Amino acid sequence: MSDEERDVEQNAGTGSRHDRLPIDNRDWTAPKHSVTAQLGLVKFKPDEDAHLSVKNKSVCRDTCRRKFCTHTCPAQVYRWEEEEKTITIAFEGCLECGTCRSGGCPYDNIEMRYPRGGFGLQYRFG
Amino acid sequence: MNTATNTPTPGRFDAIVVGGGPAGLAAAYTLAAGGAHVVVIERGDWPGSKNMMGGLIFSQPTAQVIPEFWKEAPLERHVTRREMWLTTGESVLKAAYESTDFGAEPYNSFTVYRSRFDKWLAEQARAKGAVIITETLVEDLLMEGNRVVGVRTGRPQGDLEADVVILAEGVNPFLAEKAGLSRGLKAESLAIAVKEVLALPREKVEDRFNLEEGTGAAYEIVGEITNGIPGTGFIYTNRDTVSIGVGVILKDMVDRAGEAYALLERFKAQPQVRRLIQGASPREYSAHLIPEGGYRGMPKLYGNGVLVVGDAAGMVNAAFTEGANLALLSGRMAAQTVLKARDCGSFEALTLSHYGELLKKSVIMKDLKTFEKMTPFLSSHPHFFSIYPELASAVVKELLTVDSLSKADKMHLIIKLVKSQRPTRKYLKDLYDGWRAFS
Repeated sequence: MSDEERDVEQNAGTGSRHDRLPIDNRDWTAPKHSVTAQLGLVKFKPDEDAHLSVKNKSVCRDTCRRKFCTHTCPAQVYRWEEEEKTITIAFEGCLECGTCRSGGCPYDNIEMRYPRGGFGLQYRFG
Repeated sequence: MNTATNTPTPGRFDAIVVGGGPAGLAAAYTLAAGGAHVVVIERGDWPGSKNMMGGLIFSQPTAQVIPEFWKEAPLERHVTRREMWLTTGESVLKAAYESTDFGAEPYNSFTVYRSRFDKWLAEQARAKGAVIITETLVEDLLMEGNRVVGVRTGRPQGDLEADVVILAEGVNPFLAEKAGLSRGLKAESLAIAVKEVLALPREKVEDRFNLEEGTGAAYEIVGEITNGIPGTGFIYTNRDTVSIGVGVILKDMVDRAGEAYALLERFKAQPQVRRLIQGASPREYSAHLIPEGGYRGMPKLYGNGVLVVGDAAGMVNAAFTEGANLALLSGRMAAQTVLKARDCGSFEALTLSHYGELLKKSVIMKDLKTFEKMTPFLSSHPHFFSIYPELASAVVKELLTVDSLSKADKMHLIIKLVKSQRPTRKYLKDLYDGWRAFS
C-alpha cells in the first residue's frame, strides 16, 4: 500500500469538513505542474483590493504542514514562501471557483469574497 | 400589499433575480413573459462572463423554457454520439451510442460556450421585458424580521427592494448562507472541475472524432486518469475547438493534496487522448465547483420572500452530467411560483412552498432522489476508479490476445486474475453496496 493509499484508508468515512481533517503528516512540496501558461489565456480585470485573505497566518505557518491550498487551488493563487514562512496570494489571477472556502483549505483558514462587480475573471468561452 | 401595479417605480420590482446563469435567466424570462417587473443582477460584465461548464445543454428541458431555441441560440454542435471510456494507463475500453435521431429536431443535446449561450439567454429575457443590470455584486440581503425584502448591491445607493428575491447565485451560496437557507458547502459533496478549450480547425475536429458536418461527440472517461481519486474526465467537441477537462470529488482530492490541473495534464497525455488533441492550441483555461451532494446536499429551497434555484440549490445530476437543464427548469418553476404568489398577494414561505411541490413532481427531484447516495458511495469506494477499470481492461486484453493458451486456460487465468485483485466477499459487498446506493 502506498503512502497515499494509506492516507485515504485512514481518512475513510464521512463527516463535515470541520470535524474531520485530512492526514497532514508530510511537508509541503511544490506543485507538480505550473498553471502560469494556462492562466495567461484567461482575461482578468483585477481590482485594487484583494478579495481573498488568510484568516490566521499562524495556522499556515505552524499547523498546516502540506500547505493544501498551494495544491488545491486550480489557479495556484496561493504560494508558500519557504524563506518567509508565509502564504502569498496572487488574487489577480483567481478563477473565482470557491474551492478555497469549501474545503480546499481543510483548516477553513481562507476568507473568500467575490471581486467587486465588473472586476475579476472574464471568460470568453466558459 | 399593492403588487398588481403596472407602473412600478424604479428601485421597486416584483422580483429580483441574483445571478445571470441559466437558472436566473430562465426565472427572469418566465417572470417577464408572465407580466412581472423583474430585474436580474449580474456581477460580471455580461451574463455568462463568469460562467463555465463542461459544455452540454440538453434540448428538451431548454425548449420548455425557450421553444425551438436551436434556431437562434449560439450553439456549437448537436451531439449525435456519446462515449464512455474506461481507461488504464495504456488501454481504453469504450462503450458508444450513436443515433441519427439525435441529429434531427428536437435534437438531444448541444455543446455550448456558456459565456456566449448565457449572454444570448439574457437577451431573450430582456426582449420579454426583464431588466438586466451587470457589473453589480449583490453583497447582502435586506431583511425585515425573517423576511427577505430586497438586496444590497455594491453600488452607491444600491439597495433594491422587491416582493421576492430569487437566489441564482451559483455554486457558492454566499447569500443563501446569509439567509440561513444553506449551511455552506462541504468538500465531500463538491467536485472541482478544470477545463481547457483547445483550438483545432473544423475539418480536423470532424475527422478526428469521426463526425459529420455540424454534429458533435461527447466522451466521459473513467479510470486511471484521475489517479485513483473518484471523478471523471470529459472531451466535448465544439465547432472549431475541443473542450477537455477533469472533475474530481473535492474531499478526496484534498485528502491527497491532489492537483486538478495535474490530473488534466495526465489525462491529456494518455495516448488515446493525445492523438485527438495533437497540435491543438490552448485558448482558455477555466475552473468551477460542481455541487454533487444531490438530494441530501440541497439547502432549504424557499423562505419568506426568497427562493433558491440552480447550482445554489444543488441541482446537479452528476451521474448523467446534467446541471444546466436542472437549472433552467428550477428557474422556470420558481418563476411560476412567484407568478402564482403574485396573484394571491402573498410571498410568505407557505405560499412559496408551491415551488417545492412543483420540484417534487418534476424529473429534477425524482432523479436527485434516485442518485442521492451516489457521491458518498463513490467517495467510499475509490477502487471503482482504479481496480475495476484495470480489471475490465485486463480481462478484455486476455480474451483478445491470441497466443498459445487455449480459451479454457484463458478463462481459468481470468478467474485467477479476478480473485487475485480482491477477495470474493469484497466483490459481493461492492455489489450489495451498489445495489443499496441506487435503489
